Amino acid sequence: MINKYKINTGASVKDYNKVSDWLSFEIPNKIKISSGKVDIGQHISTTLALICSRELGIDINSIFVNKLNTDTTPNEGITASSLSVPNSGTAIRSASIIFKKNFLDFAAKSLNLNINKINLEDGVAKDPNSNASISFWDFSKTEEFLKLSIPEIIEIEDQKNFDHSSHVETKFINSIVKGEYKFLHDLRFDDMLHARIVRPPSYFHKFLSINNAIHKYLKDHNLKLYIKNSFIAVLGNDEFEVIKSLNRIKNSIEWEQVNKLANDKIFNLIDQNSKDSLIVKRGGEAFNENIPEIKSYNNVDHKTLTSEFNKPYLMHGSIGPSASCSFYKNGKFIIYSHSQAIYALKSILSNAFNLKEKNITLHFMPGAGCYGHNGADDVTYEAALLSKEFENKYVLLKWTREDENCWEPYGSASKNKLTATLDKNNKIIYWSSEAYSDTYLTRPMVGKLEYFVSQRFINNDFKKYKVEPRTGAHMGIHRNLDPIYNFKETRLVKNLVHDLPLRTSALRTLGAFANTTATETFMDDLCIEANIDPFEFRINHLDDNRAIDLLNDLKIQMEKDEPTENGFRGIAFSRYKNSASYCAVGVELTVSDNVEVELKQAWISVDAGEVAFKEGIEAQVEGGFIQAASWSLYEQVNFDNNEILSKDWDGYKIIEFDNIPLINTSVINRVGFPYLGVGEAVAGPTGASISNALKRALGERIKSMPFSQENITKQLLG
Amino acid sequence: MSKTEYILNVNGKSKNIVSSEDKPLLYILRDEFKLTGTKLGCGLEQCGSCAVLVDGCKILSCNRPAIEFVDKEITTIEGISKNDVLNEIQQSFKEFNAAQCGYCTSGIIVSLTELFNKKETPGKKEIIESLSGQLCRCGSHASVLKAINNVIKLRKNND
Ligand code: FES
Ligand code: FES
Repeated sequence: MINKYKINTGASVKDYNKVSDWLSFEIPNKIKISSGKVDIGQHISTTLALICSRELGIDINSIFVNKLNTDTTPNEGITASSLSVPNSGTAIRSASIIFKKNFLDFAAKSLNLNINKINLEDGVAKDPNSNASISFWDFSKTEEFLKLSIPEIIEIEDQKNFDHSSHVETKFINSIVKGEYKFLHDLRFDDMLHARIVRPPSYFHKFLSINNAIHKYLKDHNLKLYIKNSFIAVLGNDEFEVIKSLNRIKNSIEWEQVNKLANDKIFNLIDQNSKDSLIVKRGGEAFNENIPEIKSYNNVDHKTLTSEFNKPYLMHGSIGPSASCSFYKNGKFIIYSHSQAIYALKSILSNAFNLKEKNITLHFMPGAGCYGHNGADDVTYEAALLSKEFENKYVLLKWTREDENCWEPYGSASKNKLTATLDKNNKIIYWSSEAYSDTYLTRPMVGKLEYFVSQRFINNDFKKYKVEPRTGAHMGIHRNLDPIYNFKETRLVKNLVHDLPLRTSALRTLGAFANTTATETFMDDLCIEANIDPFEFRINHLDDNRAIDLLNDLKIQMEKDEPTENGFRGIAFSRYKNSASYCAVGVELTVSDNVEVELKQAWISVDAGEVAFKEGIEAQVEGGFIQAASWSLYEQVNFDNNEILSKDWDGYKIIEFDNIPLINTSVINRVGFPYLGVGEAVAGPTGASISNALKRALGERIKSMPFSQENITKQLLG
Repeated sequence: MSKTEYILNVNGKSKNIVSSEDKPLLYILRDEFKLTGTKLGCGLEQCGSCAVLVDGCKILSCNRPAIEFVDKEITTIEGISKNDVLNEIQQSFKEFNAAQCGYCTSGIIVSLTELFNKKETPGKKEIIESLSGQLCRCGSHASVLKAINNVIKLRKNND
């Protein structure tokens, strides 16, 4: 049977609707793909090449992805929110479909042949009866090719169910395993200056003076010091000399502490501090309306439960500290950055340095995985600033481990408070859920230079800036606050808490990790109360068939595997933003006598729409699972009144190879459905499934992450 | 600090080096030998990104002065493949796409190369010990473990 279905070609095609914006054929037998999404280890390059390869019948090794820079690649905005495959993937797919259709028409005309008779192989259309042929590369030289545009909707017939079983090697793996893959950190130019920032002890330290004796040391070691108010950097040709000088310079500076970090009882501060409270309605948008009281129901026909969940500050903790390289000459910048937002940075830098945008080029070069808004943007701004001071020299600025740990914008600490009521039939008839946290959205913006961490020191401006609550559907704090379940009545409240101590912004999933963990652990409390199987209880509250299929898939997977001795299992589920991928997670763990949690087995079921790159999806969800397991079990940024204490990996523990469970991933392929982003879907269900397994192991809900020996013992001992 | 002169042998090539006495091996590899596959992740011997082999044993190169390694055979990730032929661990990493961003991967492959050189078919405990302190933030662990199992399976099949 021929299936017909429509593809909405999506957001990126609206701005770049020419096939030639996405595909080019300049090199014989090769296809170059352009995308505005940066490859940050999520395998987007391989996924895009694979999409194009399948649609055009060209070997993936003959397809390469254009190096990203702000002059030539399409501006698809920021690489975030699990939108790379939905946007760029759909655009590449649409461009490939339109290209092929028009090529075949062109070939039929040129070869004077019926389309059905054409033999198309490796981009060459042949007349089987003669030697006549015409290729993609011939067609690309025509005027017609340049005019090809992509409509908003494409109708496709005869959808091929692509084979996803064979191994596809990712684009960069060969050079990675040989140590030849080049990161930004590896750049080298003649006479390049290495730079490091001389950081003050905290956000609130102002530079007073420096001991003059340091200048001799700097001179002897061929180092230069740059001081602008309280922003201080050291530069030199030898990277190690620059690093070595840092402590010496720090020790020769006198700082004034203009303010303290607020006291470290973060969850008390979240309760006490002033806040903007908004109602979130079904659909996930927030509104500035009156917040109703929590409803109460009689205890005769109803059971009402409450719950609370606390999450500490979490760091992105990139393994390679943030870096950027910048060159400035005659009013022009050339900048290398591993930011997810190079197009935005171009506008911001143009505004900040009062230069025309055309005089600024940003080249994307890989950094280590970043998982959201880490130090990548800050370091780019700082490198640009320094290169402007040291004109005509490349300045390669790298953050130190301590910089990365202490100066990046964290994922905010948060609190969730929930109340729900079950009726006699064990149906949830009322659900109140409140999320409390600082903002997740201080990505750089034009006119908001204060979002760069160094700006306060550059201007000696130590005041606190108040952020406004965002109201769009599933924005930061209220992402996935609106549950996917069909509860009769909900009361959803987003609380943006002000004056919290640490700098925050987008960390993978934003508020969704906490909100999903809170929702799905509370669902578990309710199902235990109702004495109903956790799968069944969830399915009883779902109308969405894809969600139901997914839970059933997870159940089948988990039943197949033998239980571990003394193991306890928990499950959880969500659809990221209620619009991206569906993901269900099962976990089995043991708890030792000295309260150490060991992950034994994990099962992941994921529905990311039509599968583009199966191994890519598996890598994303398994990687996301491991990261979220690390958040859940180990992580917490520690600080006191004066400074951040989690300065290095000894002060900020993350998961290691000794606690990685056996992971089984099942990818449901929804042929004909849009691609759904998958990078973030697994985190919330991971946190919740671990908490749910722990509750079964301990008989008690552990309310605060991380579920470390210390926190569990503290709660159990009261 | 005064400069000192010494000879280092890296990936089978010797080179005369002039550097300060305290300059760690990592910077010599990157600056003098132009071998950038060994990564700076912390500079504190905490993350494993800078692991290299010295006479076949893994060391962290970010803090220890290069002069300590005079008269030793130093092997970096670039020297692990011979004449462009990948070793079995690299090959297996390729087959399982066992890296995401890849920043941590050199250190992990170096650690496993030491392990598999010393043990024909290492057990779980030995694998975990070998990878202790090799941090990865992208969560490539699951695919790394699959790649390791594959190496073991292949070795067993070749018995
Ligand atoms: S850079 Fe050497 S252990 Fe981290
Ligand atoms: S693959 Fe990115 S840090 Fe390991």
